[in-house]
Amino acid sequence: MDENASARLTRRALTVAHRVSLFLAMLVICLPGIWIVLSSLRPTVEIMAKPPVWIPQEVSLDAYIAMFSGIGKGGIPVLDYFRNSLIISVTSTVIAVAIGMAGGYAFARYRFRGKSGMFLGLMLTRTVPGIALSLPLFFLYVRLGIIDTHIGMILAYVALNVPFTIWLIDGFFRQVPKDLAEAAQIDGCTRWQAFWQVEFPLARPGIASAAIFAFLTCWNEFALASQLTRSVNSKTLPVGLLDYTAEFTIDWRGMCALAVVMIIPALTLTYIVQKHLVGGLTSGAVKG
Amino acid sequence: MKGLKPSAPFLLLLPAIVVLAAVVVLPLILSLYSSFTPFRLTRPETFFVFIGFRNYLSILSNADFWWAFGRTVLLLTIALNLEMLLGLGLAMLVEKATRGQRILRTLMMFPMMFSPILVGFQFKFMFNDNIGLVNNALQSLGITQDAIPWLIEGHLAFIAITIAEIWSSTSIFAILILAGLLAMPKEPIEAARVDGCTPWQTFRYVTWPFVMPFAYIAMTIRSLDVARAYDIVKIITDGGPAGRTELLWTLVGRTAYSDARMGLANAMAYFSILLSIAFTVYFYNKLAAARAQIGAEW
Repeated sequence: MDENASARLTRRALTVAHRVSLFLAMLVICLPGIWIVLSSLRPTVEIMAKPPVWIPQEVSLDAYIAMFSGIGKGGIPVLDYFRNSLIISVTSTVIAVAIGMAGGYAFARYRFRGKSGMFLGLMLTRTVPGIALSLPLFFLYVRLGIIDTHIGMILAYVALNVPFTIWLIDGFFRQVPKDLAEAAQIDGCTRWQAFWQVEFPLARPGIASAAIFAFLTCWNEFALASQLTRSVNSKTLPVGLLDYTAEFTIDWRGMCALAVVMIIPALTLTYIVQKHLVGGLTSGAVKG
Repeated sequence: MKGLKPSAPFLLLLPAIVVLAAVVVLPLILSLYSSFTPFRLTRPETFFVFIGFRNYLSILSNADFWWAFGRTVLLLTIALNLEMLLGLGLAMLVEKATRGQRILRTLMMFPMMFSPILVGFQFKFMFNDNIGLVNNALQSLGITQDAIPWLIEGHLAFIAITIAEIWSSTSIFAILILAGLLAMPKEPIEAARVDGCTPWQTFRYVTWPFVMPFAYIAMTIRSLDVARAYDIVKIITDGGPAGRTELLWTLVGRTAYSDARMGLANAMAYFSILLSIAFTVYFYNKLAAARAQIGAEW
């Protein structure tokens, strides 16, 4: 065996090892999701079968039909939950992004005293665990009479999202060269006009990603929602999942079906923004 | 205070400050106050009884609390370190791939789209001792005859929770570290190779210092949201069996809403807030340091 042949062999072995480990990693990542989708399509008997049935014998959409057919027919008020989730998420996202744009612009374009302290301070408000915040909020909301309302949830979610939208939008505005806005101002724009006509359009994809990220945070949030919502008036989908659990039993099939309904919008939106999101988070990482 | 006009950045930041003050800071002040009272939801008049540090003293002598505290720190330490390592490994695997990088990158982000509560249900389902995927697979492959009581035995339940937590958050590290790897200039690596570095040395002294700020960004983002483990634990075991997987956050929730002892729960909540703040400040400072180092070197 000469050296060339053995080198070639090592290289091939490395390639195969790389492929195999990549495949295994992706399998571990995807399998739980695939399993959920599969379980939502199988009859409960098959899910509970012992020994397990690996290959589905019959596939049906019964779980989805039951879910949407309303209370009393094995369904839960999923349409109400869906509407609540949508209203709360969209409204709080719009407000959070508006506030985040103002704040992000301030951090990206101005120098002022206590800037980094301020930035850290805003971030720290995000670290308060939802469950810890829910105690005083619960008390306050009961006093103000906005427990179990959309307004209450929207307020809470705006506050939850503002620190992060500021971080992201700050990153996107930093990627827009300062000179462009200055050139526009020299050409006679006011700062306001320069912002809307030059900087905003350039940062728009990034701001859109910040919006989607905020939307997903609201869409998926559970710790606050589980304490601040009580009924179909404001219960969101993550809290609605609990409707499938009883004291000792869980309707796995129905739950898997609702999980799929929840995950589809999240999946689509995340796919759209993934590239911009990473750009916004890491901008300024290389040059501080 | 000179001049009548407040500065522009202050005005721009005002809405954010107002919202956060109203929804986060004000409630926190309220809860700080109530942590000094024996407040119970069922007896509103107790809100105005001042008992000083008695809640805090009773927490300090409460073994359950310290177990939960220790368990939370342990979970975070194990999970964050493993997520970092696995994320780094995953990012490097994907970066090496010659074909299908786009698809791989999308697949890699898959767990990020799952709400923590979904992750909880999914793993509760998979680790179910009777019908779960994990036991079914182990039994079908003949690795074990008996059903492993994943969520019924204390240590196994803790392992199951750690796995769920790692599964859901590794991709944040992977995606950000991958961004770092892709943004990295190729010349230093080539130079290192020409100079005779081993692959390990190249990684340790060239790649890693460059990727580090990206890893710290991921750490900072994660530490902003460490309490999302609450959702997962709440669903998978709800602190059980017999309190063996009780974390700080589930303990706070139980004391506040099941036992209705708000004052005591608020005192506990302050420990969890301080824990989160400690994590975040630590990684934020690391991030700043790593950025400064990169700025000097490249």
